[in-house]
Amino acid sequence: MFRSFNAGGTAPARRSLWQVIVDDHGPGRIVLWIPLVFMVAFFLIPLALTLVWSVFERTMFWMEPGFTLAAYQDFFGSGRVDSFLNSVKSAAVTVAVAFILGFPIAVFVRRSVPAHAQHQAVLLFILPFMISEVIRLFALRPVLGRNGIVNDLLMSIGLVDEPISALLFTPTSVVIGEVLSFLPFMVFCGFLAMEAVPDYVFELCDDIGSGLVVTLRRVIIPLAAPGIFAAAIFIFVNSLGLFLVPDLLGGPGAANAGTLVVNAIAALDFPLAMAIAAIMVTMMVALLLIGHWLFDLTKLLEPFR
Amino acid sequence: MNSVPAVEVDGVSKNYGSVSALKPTSFAVPEGRYFVLLGPSGGGKTTTLRMIAGLIRPTTGRVRIGGRDVTDQPANRRDTAMVFQGFALFPHMTVEQNVAYGLELRRLPKDELRDRTAAMLRLVGLTGFEARRPSALSGGQQQRVQLARALVLQTSIVLLDEPLAALDATLRKDMCFELKHIQESVGTTFIHVTHNQEEAMTVADEIALIAAGTLVESGSPREVYETPRCRFTAEFIGENAVFSGPIVEGALRIGGAAPFVRDAEPPLAISVAAENIDLHLQQPDLEQTLPGTVVDVFYLGFSALLHVEVDGGPVVPVRLLSKELDAGIKSGGRVWLSWDPDHARMHTA
Repeated sequence: MFRSFNAGGTAPARRSLWQVIVDDHGPGRIVLWIPLVFMVAFFLIPLALTLVWSVFERTMFWMEPGFTLAAYQDFFGSGRVDSFLNSVKSAAVTVAVAFILGFPIAVFVRRSVPAHAQHQAVLLFILPFMISEVIRLFALRPVLGRNGIVNDLLMSIGLVDEPISALLFTPTSVVIGEVLSFLPFMVFCGFLAMEAVPDYVFELCDDIGSGLVVTLRRVIIPLAAPGIFAAAIFIFVNSLGLFLVPDLLGGPGAANAGTLVVNAIAALDFPLAMAIAAIMVTMMVALLLIGHWLFDLTKLLEPFR
Repeated sequence: MNSVPAVEVDGVSKNYGSVSALKPTSFAVPEGRYFVLLGPSGGGKTTTLRMIAGLIRPTTGRVRIGGRDVTDQPANRRDTAMVFQGFALFPHMTVEQNVAYGLELRRLPKDELRDRTAAMLRLVGLTGFEARRPSALSGGQQQRVQLARALVLQTSIVLLDEPLAALDATLRKDMCFELKHIQESVGTTFIHVTHNQEEAMTVADEIALIAAGTLVESGSPREVYETPRCRFTAEFIGENAVFSGPIVEGALRIGGAAPFVRDAEPPLAISVAAENIDLHLQQPDLEQTLPGTVVDVFYLGFSALLHVEVDGGPVVPVRLLSKELDAGIKSGGRVWLSWDPDHARMHTA
């Protein structure tokens, strides 16, 4: 015979306040809305304001409502667009270098480090982030300078006769600084992206006679592509915006998109700053859409099976 | 047929630190045979297979393939192809691409590549599935793709590491028959690792029993089933009543019953296949009988399995035809066991 819980006269189990709150239909479900509220308050609204303000009229100290493309004309009609394009170029180079240096590390950790030590190994690459970015970048100056460690070393082993001055306060040094800043992201994202690559792939490729380079190109990179793409976007966007690097390592006149925005704000030209920001955001969204179309980013970080 | 064995494992062992996965082991696999390494999990059979494949290096010993020492060669230089446990396919490639990948690496002309791939897919019964992704295939189909991928390379040896372990029982049985047919039709030497004795009996020309890091014994399925030399074999393969007991005046005593084997040399055990044990409800007029009590009765359709606790001895399995149960055999009943002395097998180890 089937009896419901209450039929026997026993009192229903008393639920604690906490259980009531976290019940599927209880007030606790509001928690689920917090990320959405956060995204609206701190992402969508500022984004909308950026777009709106970028077409406002500039005044002496702020701006007033209106519609003008003056800020965009100002951007595209000046040397700023060249600086912007240069920083796009160096961001792209940074992404490429970070991928070439960082992804093999991620593959190596997945393939050759025992499973229980893999996370620790990856953690090693994140350790530099415990040090302030300013200090990390500033510390590169004595390393890369004319009399820096790198040049000293190169000269003492006789590779070069005179110090290479291109290592500091040049576009090269900006790329070096950006790569050093963002390499851990490539290692970390690459490591997570390797979740999509089943472990047996390595043995299978060994057995079938697929060399490491072919395996990377035909098997590993296609499988890990969504994660690699995520890391690439992250590094690209941050390279564009992180004005500290050109500031500290780029020398006079060095600028990336972030520097342009900061300078515009310093000059109290808020619509211009907003316009540049709007262009950057548009670019990022376009890249994400392309990435989603290519790799289906909903599969991002989804482990194999 | 060639007199040189297809694979020769010569004193091969593997240690991981101080742990021995395989003690020095030697065996040879004749060309064109379906050879099965059978044994409990963790016994060292997969380790053996991987050392033949070249995926792990032996600690000692040599591996020869077709008479050539390949111990120092990497996996891709060996004339072997592997079918892995689980569904080890490239998830981003279609069935056809998965099978053709190895041939592409060998730089085969396009049309030959296509023909060989198509022929292999036909052989494993997957024509029409070329454009599917592995995720759109059943487990059995995925294992067929793996088999096609291994066979298409036309290596002289195909290694199969628990190829059917992830399949359900019915499918496993069908795939066994199919594996056997495919091996017979291509004539390639197959070395197949499994822990499932039915699977091993179905496919094998020869079974090597590996347990606790040693090769216990080897022989045809019939030999290891009907005339196992070692006690372990009798316990692992088939259902056998295994008796061991004190040796009294050169004879084995079981419980209080009459001595069974004359002139025995210790250590000794005897085993009798469950289906060769005769069951009596009254004490028979025989010199050698063992009284006991029925503990369990399992009706299995055509046959029935009893567990009988021998007085002062072990619980042993007894197989009957199901209709014999009608004689009044039930749990808790007294019975007497006997067997034709020719059916008793002696084990010294």
